[in-house]
Amino acid sequence: MSSVTRIIWFDLKQELNPPVWIIVEWIVFAVQVSVYGALISNLVTSMSDYLKFYAVGLAIMLTFEIGSHTGRHFVEHAHEGRLPYLLSLPIPRWKLFLAIALQGGFELALMLIVPLCALQVIIGNLTLVSVFSAIGTLFWLGFGVSGLMLALSFIAFRSADVYSAIVTALSTLIIRFSTVFYPLIFLPPSYAGVAILSPLTYGSDLVRLILGFDPSILVDPGIAVSVLTALAISTLGLGTLLLQRLVEGVKSG
Amino acid sequence: MFAVETKGLTKLYGKTKALKELDFTVNEGEIMVLLGPNGSGKTTLLLILATVLKPTSGIAKIMGYDVVKQPTRVRQILGIAFQEARGFWRHKPQEILRFHATICGVPKSKREILIEQVMKDLELWDARGKLFMHLSGGQAKRVEVAKLLVQRPRLAIFDEPSSQVDLRGKRVIWDNIRKLRDEGSTIIVATNEVREAEYLADRITILDQGVKVVCDTPQRLKDSIAGGDIVELEIETQNLNEIVEEIRKIDGTFRVTPLDVNHLRAYVSMAEAWVPKVTSLCYRNNVRVVSIRVTEPSLDDVFLHFTGKALEVAPS
Repeated sequence: MSSVTRIIWFDLKQELNPPVWIIVEWIVFAVQVSVYGALISNLVTSMSDYLKFYAVGLAIMLTFEIGSHTGRHFVEHAHEGRLPYLLSLPIPRWKLFLAIALQGGFELALMLIVPLCALQVIIGNLTLVSVFSAIGTLFWLGFGVSGLMLALSFIAFRSADVYSAIVTALSTLIIRFSTVFYPLIFLPPSYAGVAILSPLTYGSDLVRLILGFDPSILVDPGIAVSVLTALAISTLGLGTLLLQRLVEGVKSG
Repeated sequence: MFAVETKGLTKLYGKTKALKELDFTVNEGEIMVLLGPNGSGKTTLLLILATVLKPTSGIAKIMGYDVVKQPTRVRQILGIAFQEARGFWRHKPQEILRFHATICGVPKSKREILIEQVMKDLELWDARGKLFMHLSGGQAKRVEVAKLLVQRPRLAIFDEPSSQVDLRGKRVIWDNIRKLRDEGSTIIVATNEVREAEYLADRITILDQGVKVVCDTPQRLKDSIAGGDIVELEIETQNLNEIVEEIRKIDGTFRVTPLDVNHLRAYVSMAEAWVPKVTSLCYRNNVRVVSIRVTEPSLDDVFLHFTGKALEVAPS
Protein backbone atom coordinates (compact mmCIF):
# COMPACT_ATOMS: atom_id res chain seq x y z
CA MET A 1 0.00 0.00 0.00
CA SER A 2 1.44 3.39 -0.94
CA SER A 3 1.69 6.31 1.45
CA VAL A 4 -1.17 8.07 -0.37
CA THR A 5 -3.46 5.06 0.08
CA ARG A 6 -2.48 4.74 3.73
CA ILE A 7 -3.35 8.37 4.49
CA ILE A 8 -6.70 8.02 2.71
CA TRP A 9 -7.54 4.74 4.42
CA PHE A 10 -6.48 5.92 7.90
CA ASP A 11 -9.30 8.46 8.00
CA LEU A 12 -11.74 6.75 5.70
CA LYS A 13 -12.00 3.64 7.89
CA GLN A 14 -13.15 5.91 10.75
CA GLU A 15 -15.98 7.17 8.53
CA LEU A 16 -17.01 3.56 8.01
CA ASN A 17 -16.88 2.60 11.67
CA PRO A 18 -19.87 2.93 11.90
CA PRO A 19 -20.88 4.59 8.61
CA VAL A 20 -23.42 6.93 10.24
CA TRP A 21 -22.84 9.98 8.04
CA ILE A 22 -22.89 7.93 4.89
CA ILE A 23 -26.22 6.35 5.77
CA VAL A 24 -27.60 9.77 6.76
CA GLU A 25 -26.65 11.08 3.31
CA TRP A 26 -28.49 8.16 1.70
CA ILE A 27 -31.60 8.92 3.76
CA VAL A 28 -31.42 12.64 2.96
CA PHE A 29 -31.13 11.80 -0.72
CA ALA A 30 -34.08 9.43 -0.61
CA VAL A 31 -36.32 11.88 1.25
CA GLN A 32 -35.35 14.80 -0.97
CA VAL A 33 -36.07 12.89 -4.17
CA SER A 34 -39.23 11.14 -2.99
CA VAL A 35 -40.84 14.20 -1.43
CA TYR A 36 -39.47 17.41 -2.95
CA GLY A 37 -38.43 15.86 -6.26
CA ALA A 38 -41.76 14.13 -6.77
CA LEU A 39 -43.75 17.29 -6.00
CA ILE A 40 -41.66 19.61 -8.16
CA SER A 41 -41.75 17.07 -10.97
CA ASN A 42 -45.53 17.39 -11.08
CA LEU A 43 -45.22 21.14 -11.48
CA VAL A 44 -42.75 20.90 -14.35
CA THR A 45 -44.79 20.36 -17.50
CA SER A 46 -42.38 21.34 -20.26
CA MET A 47 -40.16 18.34 -19.61
CA SER A 48 -41.27 14.77 -19.28
CA ASP A 49 -40.15 12.89 -16.18
CA TYR A 50 -38.34 15.79 -14.52
CA LEU A 51 -37.97 13.67 -11.34
CA LYS A 52 -35.08 11.68 -12.84
CA PHE A 53 -33.40 14.83 -14.09
CA TYR A 54 -33.79 16.36 -10.64
CA ALA A 55 -32.41 13.26 -8.88
CA VAL A 56 -29.21 13.39 -10.94
CA GLY A 57 -28.96 17.11 -10.21
CA LEU A 58 -29.29 16.41 -6.51
CA ALA A 59 -26.43 13.91 -6.71
CA ILE A 60 -24.31 16.59 -8.39
CA MET A 61 -25.23 19.13 -5.73
CA LEU A 62 -24.20 16.66 -3.00
CA THR A 63 -20.97 16.11 -4.90
CA PHE A 64 -20.23 19.79 -4.72
CA GLU A 65 -21.13 20.05 -1.04
CA ILE A 66 -19.08 17.04 -0.01
CA GLY A 67 -16.15 18.27 -2.09
CA SER A 68 -16.41 21.69 -0.46
CA HIS A 69 -16.24 20.07 3.00
CA THR A 70 -12.73 18.92 2.11
CA GLY A 71 -11.43 22.48 2.17
CA ARG A 72 -13.09 23.14 5.51
CA HIS A 73 -11.74 19.89 6.99
CA PHE A 74 -8.30 20.85 5.77
CA VAL A 75 -8.41 24.15 7.64
CA GLU A 76 -9.85 22.47 10.74
CA HIS A 77 -7.00 19.98 10.63
CA ALA A 78 -4.54 22.83 10.46
CA HIS A 79 -6.04 24.41 13.55
CA GLU A 80 -6.32 21.07 15.39
CA GLY A 81 -2.65 20.32 14.87
CA ARG A 82 -3.08 17.41 12.48
CA LEU A 83 -1.75 19.33 9.49
CA PRO A 84 1.70 20.05 10.98
CA TYR A 85 1.93 16.35 11.78
CA LEU A 86 1.04 15.35 8.21
CA LEU A 87 3.48 17.93 6.87
CA SER A 88 6.27 16.35 8.92
CA LEU A 89 5.75 12.87 7.46
CA PRO A 90 8.33 11.54 4.98
CA ILE A 91 6.22 11.96 1.86
CA PRO A 92 6.35 14.62 -0.86
CA ARG A 93 3.89 17.50 -0.49
CA TRP A 94 2.12 16.77 -3.77
CA LYS A 95 1.35 13.24 -2.57
CA LEU A 96 -0.03 14.60 0.69
CA PHE A 97 -2.36 17.07 -1.03
CA LEU A 98 -3.31 14.41 -3.56
CA ALA A 99 -4.25 12.11 -0.67
CA ILE A 100 -6.39 14.82 0.94
CA ALA A 101 -8.23 15.56 -2.31
CA LEU A 102 -8.63 11.87 -3.14
CA GLN A 103 -10.07 11.29 0.30
CA GLY A 104 -12.77 13.83 -0.56
CA GLY A 105 -13.41 11.93 -3.79
CA PHE A 106 -13.69 8.56 -2.02
CA GLU A 107 -15.99 9.90 0.70
CA LEU A 108 -18.16 11.22 -2.07
CA ALA A 109 -18.19 7.92 -3.92
CA LEU A 110 -19.21 6.09 -0.72
CA MET A 111 -21.99 8.54 -0.02
CA LEU A 112 -23.39 8.45 -3.53
CA ILE A 113 -22.96 4.89 -4.71
CA VAL A 114 -26.20 3.62 -3.16
CA PRO A 115 -28.35 6.62 -4.22
CA LEU A 116 -26.90 6.36 -7.73
CA CYS A 117 -27.64 2.65 -7.96
CA ALA A 118 -31.19 3.30 -6.74
CA LEU A 119 -31.52 6.01 -9.33
CA GLN A 120 -30.29 3.71 -12.08
CA VAL A 121 -32.83 1.10 -11.04
CA ILE A 122 -35.58 3.72 -11.35
CA ILE A 123 -34.26 4.88 -14.72
CA GLY A 124 -33.95 1.25 -15.82
CA ASN A 125 -30.26 1.48 -16.68
CA LEU A 126 -28.55 -0.47 -13.89
CA THR A 127 -25.46 -2.04 -15.38
CA LEU A 128 -21.96 -2.39 -13.96
CA VAL A 129 -20.62 -0.13 -16.71
CA SER A 130 -23.15 2.64 -16.05
CA VAL A 131 -22.60 2.47 -12.27
CA PHE A 132 -18.82 2.68 -12.57
CA SER A 133 -18.95 5.35 -15.26
CA ALA A 134 -21.32 7.52 -13.24
CA ILE A 135 -19.36 7.06 -10.02
CA GLY A 136 -16.14 7.71 -11.91
CA THR A 137 -17.52 10.97 -13.28
CA LEU A 138 -18.76 12.07 -9.86
CA PHE A 139 -15.45 11.05 -8.30
CA TRP A 140 -13.55 13.11 -10.87
CA LEU A 141 -15.90 16.07 -10.33
CA GLY A 142 -15.65 15.71 -6.53
CA PHE A 143 -11.88 15.50 -6.81
CA GLY A 144 -11.86 18.73 -8.81
CA VAL A 145 -14.18 20.49 -6.36
CA SER A 146 -12.03 19.26 -3.47
CA GLY A 147 -8.97 20.69 -5.23
CA LEU A 148 -10.83 23.98 -5.78
CA MET A 149 -11.80 24.18 -2.13
CA LEU A 150 -8.28 23.29 -1.03
CA ALA A 151 -7.04 26.12 -3.22
CA LEU A 152 -9.59 28.46 -1.64
CA SER A 153 -8.88 27.28 1.89
CA PHE A 154 -5.90 29.65 2.11
CA ILE A 155 -8.54 32.34 2.74
CA ALA A 156 -9.72 30.45 5.81
CA PHE A 157 -6.24 30.63 7.32
CA ARG A 158 -6.80 34.39 7.42
CA SER A 159 -10.50 34.41 8.22
CA ALA A 160 -12.90 31.47 8.59
CA ASP A 161 -15.87 33.85 8.20
CA VAL A 162 -14.68 35.22 4.87
CA TYR A 163 -14.04 31.66 3.66
CA SER A 164 -17.57 30.58 4.63
CA ALA A 165 -19.06 33.61 2.89
CA ILE A 166 -17.07 32.98 -0.29
CA VAL A 167 -17.87 29.26 -0.41
CA THR A 168 -21.58 29.94 0.18
CA ALA A 169 -21.62 32.59 -2.56
CA LEU A 170 -19.66 30.34 -4.89
CA SER A 171 -21.92 27.35 -4.34
CA THR A 172 -24.99 29.54 -4.89
CA LEU A 173 -23.62 30.72 -8.24
CA ILE A 174 -22.01 27.49 -9.42
CA ILE A 175 -25.06 25.34 -8.63
CA ARG A 176 -27.83 27.75 -9.68
CA PHE A 177 -26.10 28.98 -12.83
CA SER A 178 -25.53 25.50 -14.20
CA THR A 179 -27.48 22.61 -15.68
CA VAL A 180 -27.71 20.85 -12.30
CA PHE A 181 -31.50 21.36 -12.07
CA TYR A 182 -32.47 22.51 -15.57
CA PRO A 183 -31.13 21.60 -19.04
CA LEU A 184 -29.06 24.11 -20.97
CA ILE A 185 -31.54 24.38 -23.87
CA PHE A 186 -34.28 25.56 -21.47
CA LEU A 187 -32.14 28.33 -20.01
CA PRO A 188 -32.52 31.93 -21.20
CA PRO A 189 -29.43 32.97 -23.23
CA SER A 190 -28.12 35.21 -20.45
CA TYR A 191 -28.27 32.33 -17.94
CA ALA A 192 -26.93 29.80 -20.45
CA GLY A 193 -23.90 32.00 -21.10
CA VAL A 194 -23.00 31.79 -17.42
CA ALA A 195 -23.98 28.13 -17.05
CA ILE A 196 -21.41 26.96 -19.57
CA LEU A 197 -18.76 28.40 -17.26
CA SER A 198 -19.87 26.24 -14.34
CA PRO A 199 -17.96 22.96 -13.94
CA LEU A 200 -21.13 21.40 -12.55
CA THR A 201 -22.78 21.78 -15.96
CA TYR A 202 -20.25 19.38 -17.42
CA GLY A 203 -20.37 17.00 -14.45
CA SER A 204 -24.15 16.76 -14.38
CA ASP A 205 -24.58 16.45 -18.14
CA LEU A 206 -21.90 13.77 -18.40
CA VAL A 207 -23.54 11.71 -15.65
CA ARG A 208 -26.92 12.12 -17.37
CA LEU A 209 -25.45 10.96 -20.67
CA ILE A 210 -24.03 7.86 -18.96
CA LEU A 211 -27.43 7.20 -17.36
CA GLY A 212 -29.15 7.28 -20.75
CA PHE A 213 -30.70 10.76 -20.90
CA ASP A 214 -31.44 12.33 -24.28
CA PRO A 215 -28.06 13.64 -25.58
CA SER A 216 -29.76 16.47 -27.46
CA ILE A 217 -30.46 18.35 -24.22
CA LEU A 218 -26.92 17.84 -22.86
CA VAL A 219 -23.54 19.45 -23.49
CA ASP A 220 -21.02 17.70 -25.73
CA PRO A 221 -19.53 14.75 -23.77
CA GLY A 222 -16.05 15.25 -25.23
CA ILE A 223 -15.99 18.83 -23.96
CA ALA A 224 -17.42 17.69 -20.60
CA VAL A 225 -14.65 15.12 -20.10
CA SER A 226 -12.01 17.68 -21.07
CA VAL A 227 -13.39 20.35 -18.74
CA LEU A 228 -13.66 17.96 -15.78
CA THR A 229 -10.12 16.66 -16.33
CA ALA A 230 -8.74 20.17 -16.64
CA LEU A 231 -10.64 21.23 -13.50
CA ALA A 232 -9.33 18.33 -11.44
CA ILE A 233 -5.71 18.75 -12.48
CA SER A 234 -5.57 22.55 -12.45
CA THR A 235 -7.33 23.07 -9.12
CA LEU A 236 -5.28 20.44 -7.39
CA GLY A 237 -2.09 21.90 -8.87
CA LEU A 238 -3.12 25.41 -7.85
CA GLY A 239 -4.14 24.20 -4.40
CA THR A 240 -0.82 22.45 -3.88
CA LEU A 241 1.10 25.52 -4.98
CA LEU A 242 -0.87 27.97 -2.85
CA LEU A 243 -0.91 25.78 0.22
CA GLN A 244 2.74 24.94 0.00
CA ARG A 245 3.51 28.64 0.07
CA LEU A 246 0.92 29.42 2.70
CA VAL A 247 0.97 26.51 5.12
CA GLU A 248 4.73 26.49 5.40
CA GLY A 249 4.84 30.25 5.69
CA VAL A 250 2.61 30.74 8.70
CA LYS A 251 2.68 29.49 12.24
CA SER A 252 0.20 26.66 12.55
CA GLY A 253 -0.80 23.99 14.96
CA MET B 1 29.55 17.09 9.48
CA PHE B 2 27.00 18.33 11.97
CA ALA B 3 23.72 16.49 12.42
CA VAL B 4 22.02 19.89 12.37
CA GLU B 5 23.45 23.17 11.19
CA THR B 6 21.78 26.53 10.71
CA LYS B 7 23.37 29.72 9.44
CA GLY B 8 21.73 33.12 9.68
CA LEU B 9 18.33 31.45 10.11
CA THR B 10 15.57 34.03 10.32
CA LYS B 11 11.82 33.61 10.54
CA LEU B 12 9.33 36.44 10.36
CA TYR B 13 5.63 36.23 11.24
CA GLY B 14 4.45 39.48 9.74
CA LYS B 15 6.58 42.08 11.48
CA THR B 16 7.48 39.79 14.40
CA LYS B 17 10.94 38.25 14.23
CA ALA B 18 10.63 34.78 15.77
CA LEU B 19 14.23 33.84 14.88
CA LYS B 20 17.00 36.32 14.28
CA GLU B 21 20.07 35.27 12.28
CA LEU B 22 20.41 32.03 14.23
CA ASP B 23 23.64 30.05 13.95
CA PHE B 24 23.13 26.70 15.63
CA THR B 25 24.73 23.26 15.45
CA VAL B 26 24.02 19.83 16.89
CA ASN B 27 26.61 17.05 16.87
CA GLU B 28 25.67 13.53 15.84
CA GLY B 29 24.69 11.31 18.75
CA GLU B 30 24.17 14.05 21.34
CA ILE B 31 21.14 15.37 23.17
CA MET B 32 20.90 19.08 22.50
CA VAL B 33 18.48 20.90 24.76
CA LEU B 34 16.98 24.17 23.59
CA LEU B 35 16.22 26.10 26.73
CA GLY B 36 14.15 29.22 26.70
CA PRO B 37 10.89 30.73 27.89
CA ASN B 38 7.68 30.71 25.85
CA GLY B 39 8.07 32.83 22.73
CA SER B 40 11.84 32.43 22.57
CA GLY B 41 11.68 30.80 19.13
CA LYS B 42 12.24 27.16 20.15
CA THR B 43 9.16 25.73 18.46
CA THR B 44 9.66 27.86 15.34
CA LEU B 45 13.19 26.51 15.01
CA LEU B 46 11.98 22.92 15.42
CA LEU B 47 9.18 23.39 12.88
CA ILE B 48 11.65 24.77 10.35
CA LEU B 49 13.99 21.83 10.91
CA ALA B 50 11.04 19.46 10.46
CA THR B 51 10.14 21.27 7.17
CA VAL B 52 6.71 22.19 8.52
CA LEU B 53 7.59 25.89 8.23
CA LYS B 54 9.84 27.57 5.71
CA PRO B 55 12.48 30.01 6.94
CA THR B 56 12.29 33.62 5.81
CA SER B 57 16.04 33.62 5.18
CA GLY B 58 19.16 31.70 6.09
CA ILE B 59 20.14 28.06 5.76
CA ALA B 60 19.20 24.97 7.77
CA LYS B 61 20.68 21.56 7.07
CA ILE B 62 19.93 18.15 8.56
CA MET B 63 22.71 15.58 8.04
CA GLY B 64 23.84 17.74 5.14
CA TYR B 65 20.41 18.01 3.48
CA ASP B 66 18.91 21.47 3.01
CA VAL B 67 15.45 21.76 4.59
CA VAL B 68 14.19 24.01 1.80
CA LYS B 69 15.79 22.34 -1.20
CA GLN B 70 15.54 18.68 -0.10
CA PRO B 71 12.56 18.62 2.28
CA THR B 72 11.41 15.06 1.54
CA ARG B 73 14.94 13.72 2.12
CA VAL B 74 15.05 15.62 5.42
CA ARG B 75 11.71 14.19 6.50
CA GLN B 76 13.02 10.68 5.82
CA ILE B 77 15.75 11.29 8.39
CA LEU B 78 13.91 12.96 11.23
CA GLY B 79 10.84 12.61 13.37
CA ILE B 80 9.18 15.21 15.53
CA ALA B 81 7.00 14.90 18.64
CA PHE B 82 4.95 18.07 18.73
CA GLN B 83 4.28 20.23 21.75
CA GLU B 84 0.55 19.69 21.42
CA ALA B 85 -0.56 16.10 20.95
CA ARG B 86 -3.70 16.62 18.92
CA GLY B 87 -5.39 15.79 15.68
CA PHE B 88 -6.50 12.18 15.61
CA TRP B 89 -9.42 12.37 17.97
CA ARG B 90 -11.29 9.31 16.76
CA HIS B 91 -8.34 6.94 16.51
CA LYS B 92 -6.88 4.67 19.15
CA PRO B 93 -3.27 5.05 20.33
CA GLN B 94 -2.26 1.73 18.83
CA GLU B 95 -3.76 2.68 15.44
CA ILE B 96 -1.98 6.05 15.52
CA LEU B 97 1.36 4.40 16.25
CA ARG B 98 0.79 1.73 13.62
CA PHE B 99 -0.01 4.40 11.01
CA HIS B 100 3.04 6.43 11.99
CA ALA B 101 5.36 3.43 11.95
CA THR B 102 4.08 2.30 8.56
CA ILE B 103 4.36 5.72 6.90
CA CYS B 104 7.85 6.14 8.37
CA GLY B 105 8.98 2.82 6.97
CA VAL B 106 9.40 0.73 10.13
CA PRO B 107 9.70 -2.86 8.82
CA LYS B 108 6.52 -4.88 9.15
CA SER B 109 8.34 -7.67 10.99
CA LYS B 110 9.37 -5.32 13.81
CA ARG B 111 6.38 -2.99 13.86
CA GLU B 112 3.96 -4.73 16.20
CA ILE B 113 6.64 -5.83 18.67
CA LEU B 114 8.06 -2.30 18.82
CA ILE B 115 4.65 -0.70 19.28
CA GLU B 116 3.75 -3.08 22.09
CA GLN B 117 7.12 -2.57 23.78
CA VAL B 118 7.00 1.22 23.59
CA MET B 119 3.39 1.34 24.78
CA LYS B 120 4.31 -0.82 27.75
CA ASP B 121 7.41 1.26 28.49
CA LEU B 122 5.37 4.45 28.48
CA GLU B 123 2.51 2.87 30.45
CA LEU B 124 0.08 3.25 27.56
CA TRP B 125 -0.70 -0.42 27.05
CA ASP B 126 -3.83 -0.37 29.18
CA ALA B 127 -5.12 2.62 27.20
CA ARG B 128 -4.51 1.02 23.81
CA GLY B 129 -8.22 0.47 23.20
CA LYS B 130 -9.33 3.98 24.16
CA LEU B 131 -10.07 6.66 21.60
CA PHE B 132 -7.48 9.42 21.54
CA MET B 133 -10.10 11.97 22.59
CA HIS B 134 -10.71 9.99 25.80
CA LEU B 135 -7.05 9.99 26.88
CA SER B 136 -5.81 12.27 29.64
CA GLY B 137 -3.46 15.12 28.70
CA GLY B 138 -0.50 13.12 30.01
CA GLN B 139 -1.47 10.00 28.08
CA ALA B 140 -1.95 11.99 24.88
CA LYS B 141 1.50 13.50 25.35
CA ARG B 142 2.96 10.03 25.82
CA VAL B 143 1.39 8.89 22.55
CA GLU B 144 3.15 11.82 20.87
CA VAL B 145 6.49 10.76 22.37
CA ALA B 146 5.80 7.10 21.56
CA LYS B 147 5.65 7.91 17.84
CA LEU B 148 9.36 8.73 17.84
CA LEU B 149 10.31 5.83 20.07
CA VAL B 150 8.66 3.51 17.56
CA GLN B 151 10.07 5.36 14.53
CA ARG B 152 13.63 5.60 15.92
CA PRO B 153 14.72 8.31 13.46
CA ARG B 154 18.32 9.42 12.97
CA LEU B 155 17.28 12.83 14.28
CA ALA B 156 14.51 12.87 16.89
CA ILE B 157 12.99 16.22 17.83
CA PHE B 158 10.96 16.52 21.02
CA ASP B 159 9.08 19.73 21.76
CA GLU B 160 8.45 19.88 25.52
CA PRO B 161 8.21 16.06 25.73
CA SER B 162 7.07 15.82 29.33
CA SER B 163 4.74 18.79 29.72
CA GLN B 164 1.40 17.72 31.25
CA VAL B 165 2.99 14.44 32.39
CA ASP B 166 3.23 13.50 36.09
CA LEU B 167 6.62 13.27 37.82
CA ARG B 168 6.98 9.52 37.47
CA GLY B 169 5.92 9.66 33.85
CA LYS B 170 8.45 12.41 33.17
CA ARG B 171 11.26 10.19 34.40
CA VAL B 172 10.08 7.33 32.17
CA ILE B 173 10.00 9.63 29.12
CA TRP B 174 13.43 11.08 29.89
CA ASP B 175 14.97 7.64 30.34
CA ASN B 176 13.52 6.53 27.02
CA ILE B 177 14.88 9.63 25.27
CA ARG B 178 18.33 8.89 26.70
CA LYS B 179 18.01 5.27 25.58
CA LEU B 180 17.18 6.48 22.07
CA ARG B 181 20.36 8.59 22.13
CA ASP B 182 22.36 5.61 23.39
CA GLU B 183 21.06 3.56 20.45
CA GLY B 184 22.47 6.08 17.98
CA SER B 185 19.88 8.80 17.41
CA THR B 186 20.69 12.46 17.60
CA ILE B 187 18.17 14.25 19.80
CA ILE B 188 16.91 17.82 20.09
CA VAL B 189 14.69 18.62 23.07
CA ALA B 190 13.02 22.00 23.45
CA THR B 191 11.96 22.81 26.97
CA ASN B 192 11.44 25.55 29.50
CA GLU B 193 11.77 23.10 32.40
CA VAL B 194 15.10 23.33 34.17
CA ARG B 195 14.88 19.82 35.60
CA GLU B 196 14.20 18.31 32.17
CA ALA B 197 17.20 20.15 30.73
CA GLU B 198 19.44 19.08 33.66
CA TYR B 199 18.42 15.44 33.25
CA LEU B 200 18.75 15.18 29.49
CA ALA B 201 21.26 17.64 28.12
CA ASP B 202 24.63 16.78 26.70
CA ARG B 203 24.71 20.39 25.57
CA ILE B 204 22.33 23.28 26.05
CA THR B 205 21.52 26.17 23.74
CA ILE B 206 19.83 29.05 25.48
CA LEU B 207 17.42 30.93 23.25
CA ASP B 208 15.89 34.25 24.13
CA GLN B 209 13.69 36.33 21.82
CA GLY B 210 14.83 34.38 18.77
CA VAL B 211 18.52 34.82 19.50
CA LYS B 212 21.07 32.22 20.60
CA VAL B 213 22.46 33.53 23.86
CA VAL B 214 24.95 30.78 24.66
CA CYS B 215 25.63 27.10 23.93
CA ASP B 216 27.72 24.68 25.97
CA THR B 217 27.58 21.66 28.28
CA PRO B 218 25.52 22.16 31.47
CA GLN B 219 28.64 21.95 33.62
CA ARG B 220 30.59 24.52 31.61
CA LEU B 221 27.59 26.84 31.58
CA LYS B 222 27.39 26.63 35.36
CA ASP B 223 31.13 27.04 35.72
CA SER B 224 31.04 30.09 33.51
CA ILE B 225 29.10 31.98 36.14
CA ALA B 226 31.80 33.76 38.10
CA GLY B 227 31.13 33.08 41.78
CA GLY B 228 28.17 30.95 40.92
CA ASP B 229 29.01 28.04 43.25
CA ILE B 230 28.10 28.48 46.89
CA VAL B 231 30.18 26.71 49.54
CA GLU B 232 29.03 26.71 53.15
CA LEU B 233 31.75 25.82 55.64
CA GLU B 234 31.40 24.87 59.27
CA ILE B 235 34.75 25.24 61.03
CA GLU B 236 36.19 25.26 64.52
CA THR B 237 38.54 28.18 65.01
CA GLN B 238 39.45 30.76 67.62
CA ASN B 239 39.88 33.49 65.05
CA LEU B 240 37.29 33.47 62.32
CA ASN B 241 38.30 36.84 60.83
CA GLU B 242 41.85 35.72 60.27
CA ILE B 243 40.87 32.55 58.39
CA VAL B 244 38.26 34.46 56.38
CA GLU B 245 40.97 36.83 55.19
CA GLU B 246 43.09 33.84 54.15
CA ILE B 247 40.17 32.23 52.32
CA ARG B 248 39.54 35.44 50.39
CA LYS B 249 43.02 35.10 48.89
CA ILE B 250 42.25 31.67 47.31
CA ASP B 251 41.91 31.80 43.51
CA GLY B 252 38.29 31.64 42.40
CA THR B 253 36.90 33.25 45.55
CA PHE B 254 34.47 36.03 44.87
CA ARG B 255 32.98 36.77 48.25
CA VAL B 256 33.18 35.29 51.75
CA THR B 257 30.52 36.08 54.29
CA PRO B 258 30.79 34.93 57.94
CA LEU B 259 27.40 33.71 59.13
CA ASP B 260 28.29 33.20 62.81
CA VAL B 261 31.41 32.26 64.81
CA ASN B 262 31.64 28.81 63.17
CA HIS B 263 29.92 29.22 59.82
CA LEU B 264 30.83 31.07 56.67
CA ARG B 265 29.53 31.19 53.13
CA ALA B 266 31.81 31.56 50.12
CA TYR B 267 30.79 32.46 46.55
CA VAL B 268 33.31 30.79 44.28
CA SER B 269 33.98 29.66 40.74
CA MET B 270 34.42 25.94 40.12
CA ALA B 271 33.85 24.64 43.64
CA GLU B 272 35.37 21.26 42.74
CA ALA B 273 38.76 22.95 42.43
CA TRP B 274 38.23 25.45 45.24
CA VAL B 275 37.22 23.04 48.02
CA PRO B 276 40.55 21.12 48.15
CA LYS B 277 42.34 24.46 48.39
CA VAL B 278 40.27 25.62 51.33
CA THR B 279 40.66 22.31 53.19
CA SER B 280 44.47 22.50 52.73
CA LEU B 281 44.42 26.05 54.01
CA CYS B 282 42.42 25.05 57.07
CA TYR B 283 44.76 22.13 57.73
CA ARG B 284 47.80 24.37 57.53
CA ASN B 285 46.20 26.85 59.95
CA ASN B 286 45.04 24.17 62.41
CA VAL B 287 41.42 24.94 61.70
CA ARG B 288 39.13 21.93 61.93
CA VAL B 289 36.60 21.59 59.10
CA VAL B 290 33.38 20.16 60.52
CA SER B 291 31.33 20.18 57.35
CA ILE B 292 31.28 21.46 53.78
CA ARG B 293 28.18 21.92 51.67
CA VAL B 294 28.47 22.84 48.01
CA THR B 295 25.58 24.21 46.04
CA GLU B 296 25.96 24.50 42.27
CA PRO B 297 24.05 27.15 40.35
CA SER B 298 20.93 25.78 38.66
CA LEU B 299 20.24 26.22 34.98
CA ASP B 300 17.74 28.85 36.04
CA ASP B 301 20.68 30.76 37.55
CA VAL B 302 22.55 30.20 34.29
CA PHE B 303 19.62 31.56 32.31
CA LEU B 304 19.35 34.53 34.67
CA HIS B 305 23.08 35.16 34.37
CA PHE B 306 23.07 35.21 30.57
CA THR B 307 19.73 36.87 29.88
CA GLY B 308 19.03 38.89 32.99
CA LYS B 309 15.66 37.12 33.30
CA ALA B 310 14.44 34.19 35.39
CA LEU B 311 13.36 31.14 33.37
CA GLU B 312 11.01 29.72 35.96
CA VAL B 313 8.87 31.94 38.13
CA ALA B 314 9.45 31.23 41.80
CA PRO B 315 6.31 29.96 43.57
CA SER B 316 4.68 32.70 45.63
